[in-house]
Amino acid sequence: MLRAASRRLVAVDAAAHRPWVAIVFAIAALSAGCGAGQDPHVLMFAGSAVGAEADAIRGQLNRFHAMHPSIRVELRATPDAADQRHQLYVQWLNAHAPDPDVLQLDVVWTPEFAAAGWILDLDQFHAPTSDFFPAAVAANRWNGVLYALPWFIDVGMLYWRTDLMSHPPATIDDLQRLATVAIEQHGVPFGLVWQGARYEGLVTVFLEYLGAFGGAILDTDGRVALNSNAAVTALTTMRDEIHVDRIVPPAVLTWQEEQVRFAFQNGQAAFMRNWPYAFTLLQDASQSRVAGRFRVASMPAGAGGAPTSALGGSVLAINAYTGDRDAAYRLIDYLLQPEQLLERARVVGQYPPRPTLYDTPALAEALPIAPHDARDIIDRAVARPVTPVYTELSEILQIALHRALTNQQEPRAALEEAAASIQALLDKAGLSAER
Amino acid sequence: MRSEERLGWALSLPGLAVISAIAVFPIGWTAWESLHVHDLRMPWLGRPFVGLANYAEALSSPRFWDAMAHTAVFTAVTVTVELIGGLFLALIVDRISRGRDLVRTTVLLPWAIPTVVVALVWRFLFENPAGLVNAVLFRLGMSSPTWFADATAAWVPLMLADAWKMTPFVAVLLLAGLQSIDRSLYEAARIDGAGWGRQLTALTLPLLRPALLVAFIFRTLDAIRVFDVIYVMTGGGPGTATEPIALLTFSMLLQNLRFGFGAALSMIVFAVTFVLAVVFIRVLGRDALTGRVA
Repeated sequence: MLRAASRRLVAVDAAAHRPWVAIVFAIAALSAGCGAGQDPHVLMFAGSAVGAEADAIRGQLNRFHAMHPSIRVELRATPDAADQRHQLYVQWLNAHAPDPDVLQLDVVWTPEFAAAGWILDLDQFHAPTSDFFPAAVAANRWNGVLYALPWFIDVGMLYWRTDLMSHPPATIDDLQRLATVAIEQHGVPFGLVWQGARYEGLVTVFLEYLGAFGGAILDTDGRVALNSNAAVTALTTMRDEIHVDRIVPPAVLTWQEEQVRFAFQNGQAAFMRNWPYAFTLLQDASQSRVAGRFRVASMPAGAGGAPTSALGGSVLAINAYTGDRDAAYRLIDYLLQPEQLLERARVVGQYPPRPTLYDTPALAEALPIAPHDARDIIDRAVARPVTPVYTELSEILQIALHRALTNQQEPRAALEEAAASIQALLDKAGLSAER
Repeated sequence: MRSEERLGWALSLPGLAVISAIAVFPIGWTAWESLHVHDLRMPWLGRPFVGLANYAEALSSPRFWDAMAHTAVFTAVTVTVELIGGLFLALIVDRISRGRDLVRTTVLLPWAIPTVVVALVWRFLFENPAGLVNAVLFRLGMSSPTWFADATAAWVPLMLADAWKMTPFVAVLLLAGLQSIDRSLYEAARIDGAGWGRQLTALTLPLLRPALLVAFIFRTLDAIRVFDVIYVMTGGGPGTATEPIALLTFSMLLQNLRFGFGAALSMIVFAVTFVLAVVFIRVLGRDALTGRVA
């Protein structure tokens, strides 16, 4: 207190000479004053806080505080762009900052943060993992230990036009045939649109084609499996859809989710691969020309594989340096209760990770997609490789995929190069599978 | 003399201290960092000293050499275009007698627009199949490539955007040079029977040399560090076909958080620009700096 007071005196003195000095000192003195009164055991939650999502999470945090008056919770808004949020978390956790206590992570970050020792093992709290979709839980295990719980689920799905066909395609051949028919007989400019820019979205699309042909990025032992025939077939199929069959416009090579949605929304495409968020927007007749004329299905299968949807979404984890791990877990447990998840579904349109909710009328009212349709797709969800070096692995893969799709390299050569680079990455990180 | 020397050192000491704090120290730290493995994403590896391993990794990586080649090509093409275009623009503006201030301000406008905005505008012009460029090409009966999905065609919008923004800057530098030339020299040349072309080669260009050199050095050192135009327009793609060295460094350092390897890349870029700067100042810049006419 004394120090703060003397600082204020200095400020007054300096103010006489230079006004900006006074402002700087005033801010310093003010922030010093604020810091002194703060309770160090406030629980801090870091995550998205934009628009409706912000209202939903604020309301839930307040209700949690009302139930547990001894725990005060603060919301720390973080950037919505995944890369920026990731960077911020890495900086905080590298510095062993004790807050935020509870973190909203992208599902692909869990192994990275777990291997770094930045988030707590949740097995110690006996988390009820059997209540959640198994694929979503598995993506949060590293070396057999659970480090996060799924909060909401994102899956890749195939949007198809009900006015151009009577049923969704069951196979990739079927899809290509229907797309050609739509272009030739119905005058739709594009057969199919997907995210083809060089970014994370491209990896998720590839993962779906890969699963459709029975391939994988890493096999079950953690070995790189990108040079398999299935992988080459998957990538060749994607490339040929653009350059040979001409059902996918070359413009997709620079498109992310929104450009793809605009094309479908304007009635320019018979099929679209996208996430569930697009559904509500496409139903809005004031901006969508296809409102009421589309449905969703799983991405179709090819030869030797199964329908596959890329699994995305957010998970909740606890900062390893938190001052109060029990309170932090209690907050996570509260946020994952059906009541809170249903509210998120209603307000933000996010898909809950609890399968039992998909049988309730409450979820049917909350979500635009019929819950059993959504559940069919989620049951086919496949996680991206669960590895601490996922981000770098993904960058290597993005470059290889984009080179092959833009005809700079043959699919096999591109994938072999990527496989070698990813193997070198795993070796360097000390994560190679035993051979 | 002794005490004067000592006083000189004492007086420049604060300046030297500031320079070492903001330039020498960070460069030294980066050099030290570049000798370590320091991956923020793999803290379990620790921060071991690895000698020159990061440099070896960079120099044996095809992506690094591609990025160096992209930087060199981008620099050579854009600087040439901007110097020639800037010279023409300056000669034209110099001829205008009425409203020259207004014209000069207008010419400088593209340069005043933030690079990110310029890059976005040019991206929209080329990206959309129904965008201006593609529509014009279609009218002319030509088919246009998918600009940003073609490893060669992607350079066209990139270089155009850079040239559009930076040519005016070169023009204004050269215009200042033109206006410092004594007009009576032209009169004398005319009396001696020199035509427009002869005046240009025998009078204007030699007298403009200092300004040309300044523009050349500024633009070259800027172009070698090109980042924002490419980051916004192509992100280095398709694949890594338009990735310059600054973007590769950014991606390693700030996206992959590989501090050791990123520091090694930064040191290589620093070494290249430093050597170039020294060469320019030694070989070319002497004239420019002293204002001596060759």
